[in-house]
Amino acid sequence: MGFWDTITDLVEAATPWATADAEAPAQELPEETTAESTKEEASTEAETAAAAEEPAAEEEEPAAEEQEEEEEEEEEEEEEEEPVDPKEQLEEDCRNSKQCSPAKHHFDECVERVTAAESSEGGAKEDCVEEFFHLAHCATECAAPKLWSILK
Amino acid sequence: MLARSCLRSTRAFAGLRNGAVQITKRAASSSSSGSTAESPLRLNIAAAAATAVAAGSVAWYYHLYGPTADAATPAEEGLHPTHYPWVHQQWFKTFDHQALRRGFQVYREVCASCHSLSRVPYRSFVGTILTVDEAKALAEENEYDTEPNDQGEIEQRPGKLSDYLPAPYKNDEAARFANNGALPPDLSLIVKARHGGCDYIFNLLTGYPEEAPAGANVGAGLNFNPYFPGTGIAMARVLYDGLVEYEDGTPATTSQMAKDVTEFLNWAAEPEMDDRKRMGMKVLVVTSVLFAMSVWVKRYKWAWLKSRKIVYDPPKTDNSPRRF
Ligand code: HEC
Repeated sequence: MGFWDTITDLVEAATPWATADAEAPAQELPEETTAESTKEEASTEAETAAAAEEPAAEEEEPAAEEQEEEEEEEEEEEEEEEPVDPKEQLEEDCRNSKQCSPAKHHFDECVERVTAAESSEGGAKEDCVEEFFHLAHCATECAAPKLWSILK
Repeated sequence: MLARSCLRSTRAFAGLRNGAVQITKRAASSSSSGSTAESPLRLNIAAAAATAVAAGSVAWYYHLYGPTADAATPAEEGLHPTHYPWVHQQWFKTFDHQALRRGFQVYREVCASCHSLSRVPYRSFVGTILTVDEAKALAEENEYDTEPNDQGEIEQRPGKLSDYLPAPYKNDEAARFANNGALPPDLSLIVKARHGGCDYIFNLLTGYPEEAPAGANVGAGLNFNPYFPGTGIAMARVLYDGLVEYEDGTPATTSQMAKDVTEFLNWAAEPEMDDRKRMGMKVLVVTSVLFAMSVWVKRYKWAWLKSRKIVYDPPKTDNSPRRF
């Protein structure tokens, strides 16, 4: 956001040899389609192969097959490899950093107090929302620039 | 009015304390009148009383107006959104149109089932987010009413570029009914409609904590979100890691999706931003050129004035003193 970024941007934009293409050149298109179609062919081949294998598998015990299917589904879910949100970890680190230690201290103390009061007879007369606010504000503030450097 | 009443009160005050008035009078004209000396005790009493009144009035003012009374608790106010360094908010930056494309995908796949975006027509996507063909294909996926035909019947036709995005519900009542009585607001202008703009939306979408802090009471059917004023929001967390699959292969983490959809919503609310910034650049360029020209013109016009030489050539005289 700095001043020099602006200057370099302006210079880049003003140089006559700088070009920006909205779309990729057209020649690539046929190549891409062929690549895709070959991929598709390959996948259909794989499918047919799988289909051929399936009847053989079906001949086995049905109970075992069901189990297998379940396992397969689970595996598939795992295989997808859900991306992990960097925000959580960054903010966790920030919460435990020295910068946020006062806020965290107050929050932890409050949670302890309130949970103790909740289990007692009178019930809790306060909540930890404000303490939570301070801690959350500190953590997100601290993680914000780091998060933006990771996200696209 | 105020001045006059002040004057009157000082006069009344002076009548009460004649001594004090005499003191001031004397101080003002001590040299001329040279009256009898006042006792230092009365002087001290007057000074102390004046100081006490001054201090008292300050204290009274503070008592009346000093402390601000907040009608809302912090929880009712909601957590102030954290500022994120949005690239498109910089002076000389445009929207990241790849991000807009991703954000539109998130809107379509996630938010569109509850939120309308009714001020955005398909044509506005052309060239900014989609290609013409993509936008046309998208428009044709939905059906719209035709004008009444010869028999007065209204038929359905596939959408055109000039149509606006369809709403998920027929009307607000249907939307409320489907969402436990809470109306999902139209998102076309939401970035402009909320304090904190992009920061608020991003924080709202990513700010659902794992569990509400101890002791917080969350109403039935509501979810705890610190950024929503009142902290109880009817919209549950909607974004989870890997919810959508981006065509450009960007990992679809919660915060990535939230960032993209927020930027997209900012575009929806402010589609003229890129143009506006370009206009601003033009203004700067033109004015700087004009300024440079004016400097040259000034130099040209003033050259003769600045370079002339004024010489005083005294008349030749003899050195004898003159008598008038
Ligand atoms: C299951 C339906 C549902 C989905 C999906 C959904 N929302 Fe909402 N949203 C709601 C409801 C209901 C409200 C009203 C909440 C309230 O007033 O308590 C709301 C409110 C909002 C608000 C306004 C909050 C405020 O300050 O008033 C924003 C912004 C918002 N949603 C953004 C989004 C975005 C962005 C997405 C997609 C990523 C999304 N929503 C997906 C149901 C939904």
